[in-house]
Amino acid sequence: MPDAPLIGPYRPDDVLAWEPGGPRTAGQFLSDVAQLVESLSDRPTVLNLATSRYEFLVGFAAAILRGQLTLLPQSRAPQTLRRIASDYPDSYILTDRDETIEGIESVSIQPRRGRASCPGRIPEIPLSQVVAIAFTSGSTGQPVPNKKTWEALTAVAHATGSRLGIKGGDHAVVVATVPHQHMFGLEASVMLPVMHGLVMHAGRPLFPVDIRSALADVTGQRIFVTTPLHLRACLSENVKVPPVALILSATAPLSHSLAQEAERHFHTEVHEIFGFAEAGSVAERRTIDGDSWRPLDGVRLQPDETRWNVHADYLPTPVRVPDRITVDAQGMFVVHGREADQINIAGHRVSLGDLNQKLLEIEGVQDGVFFLPEEGSDLVTRLMAFVVAPGKTSEDLQRALRTHIDPIFMPRPLICVTSLPRNATGKLPRESVSELARQWLAGQGYGA
Amino acid sequence: MTNSAVSPLEHDVAKLIVETLKLKVDPATIQPEGALFGDGLGLDSIDALELSLAISQTYGYQLKSSDPEINAIFSSLRTLTKTIEKNRTK
Repeated sequence: MPDAPLIGPYRPDDVLAWEPGGPRTAGQFLSDVAQLVESLSDRPTVLNLATSRYEFLVGFAAAILRGQLTLLPQSRAPQTLRRIASDYPDSYILTDRDETIEGIESVSIQPRRGRASCPGRIPEIPLSQVVAIAFTSGSTGQPVPNKKTWEALTAVAHATGSRLGIKGGDHAVVVATVPHQHMFGLEASVMLPVMHGLVMHAGRPLFPVDIRSALADVTGQRIFVTTPLHLRACLSENVKVPPVALILSATAPLSHSLAQEAERHFHTEVHEIFGFAEAGSVAERRTIDGDSWRPLDGVRLQPDETRWNVHADYLPTPVRVPDRITVDAQGMFVVHGREADQINIAGHRVSLGDLNQKLLEIEGVQDGVFFLPEEGSDLVTRLMAFVVAPGKTSEDLQRALRTHIDPIFMPRPLICVTSLPRNATGKLPRESVSELARQWLAGQGYGA
Repeated sequence: MTNSAVSPLEHDVAKLIVETLKLKVDPATIQPEGALFGDGLGLDSIDALELSLAISQTYGYQLKSSDPEINAIFSSLRTLTKTIEKNRTK
């Protein structure tokens, strides 16, 4: 299989990233990478926890050149990192802020910083090289590894770019609120800009005011890569932002009304990406144009006996679509909802059954169930849990649970009850749990 | 225990945190100097964003994460309240 360059069409003096200290050129980037490559020891796998998107990219590129796999955990929670590190025992952590996780060696990306531009050529990477592993929550609760080849990452970046009409000569700047360790973040905020010779803003603004400053930091065309959550926050605070050429949203479905409002507020088109960690970005739509998703070039959806699967040349095997979808004759599809007990909280998928299992494994818990309430006015709808655990307090149980599940799935609140409304056969119908939740919320003054 | 006596504004901010984030705790039990994130109340960045909107609506102060003090601001109820007190516009 042939090779593809580490970064897209850049001349050495072209700006590749925008850091708090100013621009970083492609030449400086290659020199930063070359320095880090030399200082890394021989290890098979690395957990790249860099908070700066630029430092992350330097670490990612250096790892690729050393033939090391970058592990992309679902969260940065210490217990998640330790669990993955125990599955990949020779892993080390790359960090840009002296972060340490007990039991895992840390290497700092900081000491480099060559001012000099690297005169060397842009390295070529074999397309078949596995460069990253994205983890998803598996049916047993153990993180499931999804291998990503250089071909998969570059193909998705090019397909997304061509769908959105992104051209290398634009030198547009990508400003993103999404974490670069998340699959969508890696694809849209790192691979998309560097495969097209664009500029990548190194920051990860959180609050609306930060988003405004990050967009104002840079000049030229701005591409804003974000989530419905951050769009809603910007609209709610009514922040005035500089002109944006394009907004790309993912991780959760964007409503028509929010998309419409965002298009008006930012004076630009809002496009969405549909994807999931196992397959990467799969399809795109401009939200206000309708419900249908158009698969990216090179992606085909094909059914087997029970489900739809994503096929692409860069995927070693077809990947199941985790949602219920219908596909029309043109290959466009509509998403109707999640499969079975799958839930998605702020872009993190998990099965409710797995969470319930974790709950039942806690000492002193006799019975328990997680429940996802109907979407309300909150930015993110959180899980609730009802637990039967005589003698334990909600705080005890939260503390115990926190060591077993990712923070994003922690129940808000965890309510201790004397029994769960199980029916005669011992089953716990969803409607009964829903009623229990409704009564509890009404009692707290959150009632509908 | 005068050190940890809760001021009226601290009490209001504790109530705002509990109501905004639907925590099942009595606002009065939040330790003014205890950690809000991580091991404390276990809050995360989505909570921070949600909380920032509530603070902006209630006190007219917009939080910035580019503020070098941001981790200190969110470190406890007391530091958060102090920051709100200093910057509030309503």
